[in-house]
Amino acid sequence: MKLYNKITPEGTRDLLFEECATRRMAESRLCSVFVSHGYQEAVTPGIEFYDVFEPYHSGIPQEIMYKMSDQKGRLMVLRPDTTTPIARLAATRLQNMQRPMRFYYKQPIYRSNPGLTGRSNETVESGVELLGVGGKRADVEAIALAAQAMESCLPGFRMEIGHAGFFRALASELPISEEEREEIRSTIESKNYAALNTILEKLPDSPAVRAMGRLPRLFGGQEVFEEAFSLCSNPEAIETLRYLKELYESLSGLGLGSRMMVDLGLVQRNDYYTGVVFSAYVEEWGDAVLLGGRYDNLLARFDAPMPAVGFSVNMDAVTQAMLRRGNAAPVQKPDVLVYSEEGMELAGIQYAARLTAEEGLICENALCDSLEEARVLAEKKGIARIDIVGEKEIVKGGERQ
Amino acid sequence: MKPLRIALTKGRLEKDTIDLFEKMGMDCNAVHNKGRQLILPVGDGSIEVVLAKAADVITYVEHGVCDLGVVGKDTIMENGSRFYEVLDLGFGRCRFALAGPKGKDFYEGFSEKTVASKYPNVTRAFFESKAMDVRVIKIEGSVELAPLLGLSDAIVDIVETGSTLRENGLEVKETVADISARLIVNTASMKLRKQEIEDLSVRMEDAIREDLKA
Repeated sequence: MKLYNKITPEGTRDLLFEECATRRMAESRLCSVFVSHGYQEAVTPGIEFYDVFEPYHSGIPQEIMYKMSDQKGRLMVLRPDTTTPIARLAATRLQNMQRPMRFYYKQPIYRSNPGLTGRSNETVESGVELLGVGGKRADVEAIALAAQAMESCLPGFRMEIGHAGFFRALASELPISEEEREEIRSTIESKNYAALNTILEKLPDSPAVRAMGRLPRLFGGQEVFEEAFSLCSNPEAIETLRYLKELYESLSGLGLGSRMMVDLGLVQRNDYYTGVVFSAYVEEWGDAVLLGGRYDNLLARFDAPMPAVGFSVNMDAVTQAMLRRGNAAPVQKPDVLVYSEEGMELAGIQYAARLTAEEGLICENALCDSLEEARVLAEKKGIARIDIVGEKEIVKGGERQ
Repeated sequence: MKPLRIALTKGRLEKDTIDLFEKMGMDCNAVHNKGRQLILPVGDGSIEVVLAKAADVITYVEHGVCDLGVVGKDTIMENGSRFYEVLDLGFGRCRFALAGPKGKDFYEGFSEKTVASKYPNVTRAFFESKAMDVRVIKIEGSVELAPLLGLSDAIVDIVETGSTLRENGLEVKETVADISARLIVNTASMKLRKQEIEDLSVRMEDAIREDLKA
């Protein structure tokens, strides 16, 4: 029988040294940004009931979830995202907690992608959820925090905002079925101008049809608003635009001006998101590294309706982008190799602990039978200093006796 | 400024795209005399061309190592999409069709049908949209053989003139989808290099329109 005992499953990997240190550094920078704004860490189970992530509401397709059953035959999944479990938590155990509630997390999520595409099936995500408050103040806080988190790891990023309600407002004016609406949404998501026009040509001409036709092209800088306003007559769409423009201006005021972009064609998971949506990009990564938005309907699914906004950062993407920029975290090497003479092993361990406590040095215990061996080891590992713990004295720096 | 990198599907789509670039006044000598080089500068050096197999064009663009790509709609339909599909280039036209033995109604009877194809995902999606259960068998080479040998009731394949089908006693039963070459763009590149990409795409669109007039 073939044994799969020397490889890791596809889409997973071991992390070591520089890569590992860089990811930990990125995580700790993000977490200290979150903590500094009063967010508390939440850790949720790695396995949850499938019902928590029921695809229609979570917007997560069932085919990408890893499933198994518990002893009672109930369907379980490996956590495919962290927002939904935090919503579950907020709606149940934290019903009486003072609002707003602020949580952050850093934990892996699991998604089964098609094979051999180079995508990860285990991805560490770090992010925040701000629950129990709606409106502009909360949206500004979330996006400003997203920007600060990005700045801490990948300065020079670009931040893009859009609004789920804009598409919905335009779509509500069109005489279309649920299926046609989804078809239109998906052509806008992929900016497939040709296919979108083919669908829209079949509809009677109206301002909403024309605006919808321009939607995939309505992205870029502030000039986008002008064009969008000129295209709209629907009061709801205009209200959405006005809100988004206000948000854009507030964030520009925060010094994000040149980094901000607008995309009115951000229509991913349009039934899940209810308000502002945003994402961040860097040159070193071929996809968004941060995704977020307002999801005011999710908590109602757990019988505790409340507004919510949040975002998550793909930490694997951040780590890779930092490595590509040459911003790897230094790998901590021992400062001192402690060699204990025979019979002095215990004293050697105590000495090393003292050195660490008093001088903050990293000490590696040399498990060698002779000083010569220890010297070779130190050279190979690039450790500059050897301390010798002998019966009579301790020689620092390994000068010959 | 880093050049925009565009992956072209080797073969006919490559030739058609290079023709289009030349009509746009871009210098494509490096592509004509490529030798063993794999990354080729085009025009004033603001664009680099990479030649790849169709499915690889999608992979390179999805991962962002190429900003743009030219690939057939057939490949996009079979391999899924996490990129923007911004322009129908109009060349490389053909269609996906369901074909079966001449004179026989594919849909008659109640037994489960078997369909052979080089494009199992396209085939499955087509019958799913009809809420019809069929057995799909993947064939690598000449798919026309499958119904002739009795392996399948029909095939889903790319049809241009239909002469291969006719010679083998098969006929088109239904069009599954029309196909042509598409310009695709990486999602991050689209956002970070909007101006350059839109400029190129508009110039390509104009050149195609000129072509149609001529």
